[in-house]
Amino acid sequence: MLDALPYRLATIAVLVALFAIPLVVHDDYYLHLFIVSGIFAAAVVGLDLIVGYVGQLSLAHAAFFAMGAYTSALLFIRLHWSMWLGLPAAALLVGVVAIVLGSIILRTRGHRFIIITVVFAELMRLVATNWVDMTRGFMGLPGLVVPPLVLPGIGAIDLTSKSRFYYVVLVAAIVAFVICRVIVRSSIGRKFVLIRENEPLAESLGISAFRYSMIAFAVGAAIAGAAGSLYAHYVGFVSPDLFNFSYVTIMLIMVILGGKGTLVGPALGAVIFTFLPEFLREASHWRMITFAAILIAATLFMPKGIVFPLLTHLLPRERRLRNARAA
Amino acid sequence: MPALLEGHRLAVRFGGVAALKGVDLAVDAGEVLSVIGPNGAGKTTLFNVITGRVRPAAGAVLFDGEPIHRLAPFRIALLGVVRTFQKTEVFGPLRLIDGVAAGALARNDPNPLARASEALSTVGLDRKAHLSAQQLSYGDQRLLEIAQALAAKPKVLLLDEPASGMNHHESKRIMKLIVELRARGLAMILVEHNMHVVMSISDRVIVINYGEKIAEGRPDHVRNDARVIEAYLGVPQAADARAR
Repeated sequence: MLDALPYRLATIAVLVALFAIPLVVHDDYYLHLFIVSGIFAAAVVGLDLIVGYVGQLSLAHAAFFAMGAYTSALLFIRLHWSMWLGLPAAALLVGVVAIVLGSIILRTRGHRFIIITVVFAELMRLVATNWVDMTRGFMGLPGLVVPPLVLPGIGAIDLTSKSRFYYVVLVAAIVAFVICRVIVRSSIGRKFVLIRENEPLAESLGISAFRYSMIAFAVGAAIAGAAGSLYAHYVGFVSPDLFNFSYVTIMLIMVILGGKGTLVGPALGAVIFTFLPEFLREASHWRMITFAAILIAATLFMPKGIVFPLLTHLLPRERRLRNARAA
Repeated sequence: MPALLEGHRLAVRFGGVAALKGVDLAVDAGEVLSVIGPNGAGKTTLFNVITGRVRPAAGAVLFDGEPIHRLAPFRIALLGVVRTFQKTEVFGPLRLIDGVAAGALARNDPNPLARASEALSTVGLDRKAHLSAQQLSYGDQRLLEIAQALAAKPKVLLLDEPASGMNHHESKRIMKLIVELRARGLAMILVEHNMHVVMSISDRVIVINYGEKIAEGRPDHVRNDARVIEAYLGVPQAADARAR
């Protein structure tokens, strides 16, 4: 569906616009929001693999994000590893943790799966809070920095300004998106969808639901870990607050209201639901109530997410009719 | 020489209830074996054991002489033992072609969509390949289930009540399809309540009641077996009512 020429052009236009943002936006506050959006966009396209494609509601994703942040922070503080080493290490470690957790819980589905992911997230929060010797507990780990980018022949490029770190995040989000897109468009991704639509049937035809759920779960977790590492070094500080339930809530809002099972939807959702609460600051006392009202309205009127109505209005008419007939 | 698929002394217990008590069966390539018996006799449980959804408490399932009763369902399917379900199972919102491709994708077939369209034309749904499964009539969904199974390249196909709820015309279509698949050398095990279907296309019939095999043989032989008449068919009028 997204191979048609108009979509190629739209993709190029979006990419140009994304790269041009720091040239147009000079306000650090808005750049900050774009950076946070980008970090969350990376994390939630990973979450979309498991929630949107395989169809399992994981509430452990924010914990994976936080574990990535802690891994990278601890490697920096204890071993003086820069973010360039800490980020892949965080992705790897969190991916391995997801494989271990997944080998236990991916044999279950539905309520049991959801509950175990919550328990896991809570357990990790307790570890971060109580393993004071390692994590400094509630005091958190301060003093994280963004390392310069050393390129052979050019030298060290300082990335500490927001307009430069924006590009680090943008590249990371694009890499995460491309990884997920390659997976979902491959035969692996088609198996994800078959498992989502009817797991017992997919199994009876020779598809291992366990194996493919594991791929989605582990890749999604590794991406969340990498995103967490970026977040830690950007903010410069990690604390057990990262494990708060509000993070997983906002990530699921991004995925589901963005349009689960599309990758583009959750990425767009990350931008919208990072900016929206900030814009609502104008409403002061009414801020959270307004935000909640918008979420409820979106759930009621756009049950498939924001991106579907957008796509259907942009699609050429005959294609739209064909899709409507197939839906 | 052993048969393609054999069940030896298969026993299953659910809590205190014995669902199967030492059932034997064998089916070979190009053969249709029907399993009949009253509701709750253990027919679907037998399918669940053969396809790995239920582990037998005792006994063994051999495919090509190798035991398969400890394998996961998807591995058994990959070996070539594929089933359909009593309650229709399809990939609701997906296009037929994408859902039917599942079995070919599972086998890492280089061209799953081509396999899917072959399977769809075998059952006569090729012209509806781009509709979604939930747009089909019930009868077509039952055919779709067979197409899904065929794309998984079965050697043994287990059909769980393929003609249930079908009108006369639709069940004739299913019978024609089964006969055609048998001619291709497929081994089939059929669970079916429609006696007309069972008696016309089966090579052999086994009858189970309360988890035990009470008769086995050619359809006409089984039809006249006193124990079968007593346990399952009852008086002729009741048999007609059930067969409908």
